[in-house]
Amino acid sequence: MGRVAYSQGPGGITAGRALRASRRAGRCAVRAALLCIALALVGCGAERGDAPTGREGTAVARVVSLNPSLTAMLLAIGARDVLVGVDSFSARQQQAVADLPRVGGLFDPSLEAVLALEPDLVVVVPSAEQRGFRERLSALGIPVAVFDPKGFDDVVATLEALGARVGHAEQAARRAAQMRALRAAVAAYTAHLPRVEAVVVLQRDPLFVAGAATFVDDMLAAVGARNLGAQRGDGWPRASREWLIAAAPDVLVDTSRDPQSAAAFWRQWPSIPAVADGRVVAVAEREMTLPGPWLDRALLELLDAIRPGERARFETAAGLRHVPETAR
Amino acid sequence: MKPLTPARVARNLALLLAAVAAAAFAGVALGPSGLSPSEVWSALAGHADGPAADIVWRVRIPRVGLAAAVGASLATAGVLFQAILRNPLADPYILGVSGGAALAGVAVLSLGASFGVGYMAVPPAAFVGAVATILGLLAVVGPAGRLSSHTLLLTGVVFNAFASAIIVFVASLSGFAEGASIFLWLIGSVSDARADVAGWVVLFLAVGLGCAVPMARSLDLLALGEETASALGVDAERVKRLLLVSASLMVGAAVAVAGLIGFVGLVVPHLLRLVLGPDHRQLLPASALGGAAFLVLCDTGARMFPGGPDLPVGAVTALAGGPFFLWLLRRSSRRIA
Repeated sequence: MGRVAYSQGPGGITAGRALRASRRAGRCAVRAALLCIALALVGCGAERGDAPTGREGTAVARVVSLNPSLTAMLLAIGARDVLVGVDSFSARQQQAVADLPRVGGLFDPSLEAVLALEPDLVVVVPSAEQRGFRERLSALGIPVAVFDPKGFDDVVATLEALGARVGHAEQAARRAAQMRALRAAVAAYTAHLPRVEAVVVLQRDPLFVAGAATFVDDMLAAVGARNLGAQRGDGWPRASREWLIAAAPDVLVDTSRDPQSAAAFWRQWPSIPAVADGRVVAVAEREMTLPGPWLDRALLELLDAIRPGERARFETAAGLRHVPETAR
Repeated sequence: MKPLTPARVARNLALLLAAVAAAAFAGVALGPSGLSPSEVWSALAGHADGPAADIVWRVRIPRVGLAAAVGASLATAGVLFQAILRNPLADPYILGVSGGAALAGVAVLSLGASFGVGYMAVPPAAFVGAVATILGLLAVVGPAGRLSSHTLLLTGVVFNAFASAIIVFVASLSGFAEGASIFLWLIGSVSDARADVAGWVVLFLAVGLGCAVPMARSLDLLALGEETASALGVDAERVKRLLLVSASLMVGAAVAVAGLIGFVGLVVPHLLRLVLGPDHRQLLPASALGGAAFLVLCDTGARMFPGGPDLPVGAVTALAGGPFFLWLLRRSSRRIA
């Protein structure tokens, strides 16, 4: 064989090719076998986890959440009982899951800790940090459901999809309907009001703002504000101070960590209309910049920030006595 | 090289001052928001208000001023370290002195809040960190007279890695790690020019320069070796101690407001030494001016960098300084061989 492979001339080359082909076939066979096993494993998972959504009977019973927003949504639809483990951010944010086993954070999720909990579903967001982790979970046959709640509608849809997966479709649908209705009502209410231009600041230095294609962008649209941050791009773009000053927002919503110092900080640049008119609004709630079931409350707060005094009038007009109770 | 006369020194320093002015002008005139030169001019003249005035007076000028003060501090500290340690590769960043200052600063910033210590405590803490690092460095590598370059560099590298690790650890422990801001601290940025702490840098720079310039002659003699200097009447120990503290003051202040900006203390003194000669009476003030011009230009470049607003200036100085350092290392190791 070796002699043939090394021989010169067309015949030799052909023989060499044949040899390589046969080796390749051998490797293929091994790979195919491995693939079959893997598929079988995934298949097992699929039967339990990847069942078509919406059927109560096939719902999962042991869920691990790797994202605080998804955890909060599960809690909001009354699915605390199916959670068997959460990431450390969830555990810190949500009192209701503080006593559950923790499986690490965004950067350091523990494969072993997740496996030990024997979940039949792991819910995650498509973060770049956990790409490898998600692939390894899938390779081990653990069903992984990826949700990407970017816009307001995505957040509501995620809530519904989660409800369907864990057997709380009815509650999820009710909650989703409330959120959609509130957004529509706010949008209708502000439709006749004059437009304002706003920037939502996530962090002051370096400056990050809420960009286009985010639920913040959608909520700003609902309260009748133009999101200047959308000029910088999608998601949560960086911006320079010069850009913010030149953009001249009428309202500046500061959601950064230190709400007490917001007014003093922005007063450094008195030409910003929001500063000149006293329309710098510090929002302490991190709920404004995290997707979750609290977005209806965040929407009302944003209404308050963008249009002072209108919130109470809106709530009376809409017949809302109080904001629907949500999990925090 | 021609003999150094007061007139020549004055002329050289005037040229460097002009370079600082030119760099400052570029720094004020250029920026991501694309104000036209006439808008900048009328804002400078006080005829404009609104966004243009805010951008020129309250974004660009503080930033240019801070970059100048930080650049001057780092370059002067570089000259002092190179003279005292008698090592051409000494630089606050490479030696790990900046790392020590940053470590102390981050510790105060993230843990200080629980003891009621505010942001104003960061510059003194960074100074203490810088002094402690220098003392540690000298304890490890032995008396300054016989440092080998390799030992010095290795100790600096190891200490920097150690300091960075602790910084990240302390920051994540205290929840200070708002990812991006710790990143800015580690790579060095002058984007957040705060008037209150900028005062610290100017004060520390003034004290440091005030101590160092009168001792320039002793520094020249120290370059001949400690024994020779002592024989010529220099109290070598006292000079060294005082100047190491001055250098640490300047590094501490610079790091406290701008984080870890590397290579300024290496590139600027060496270029000026090539052009102006090694006399410290001239080199010290020249490096202060050169450092100011260099960092202002780097920061202007960082702001104008295509594809993103506000590249941290530390990335630009590292981009310029890294290759320069390698060139210097090659040159000095050839000379030994």
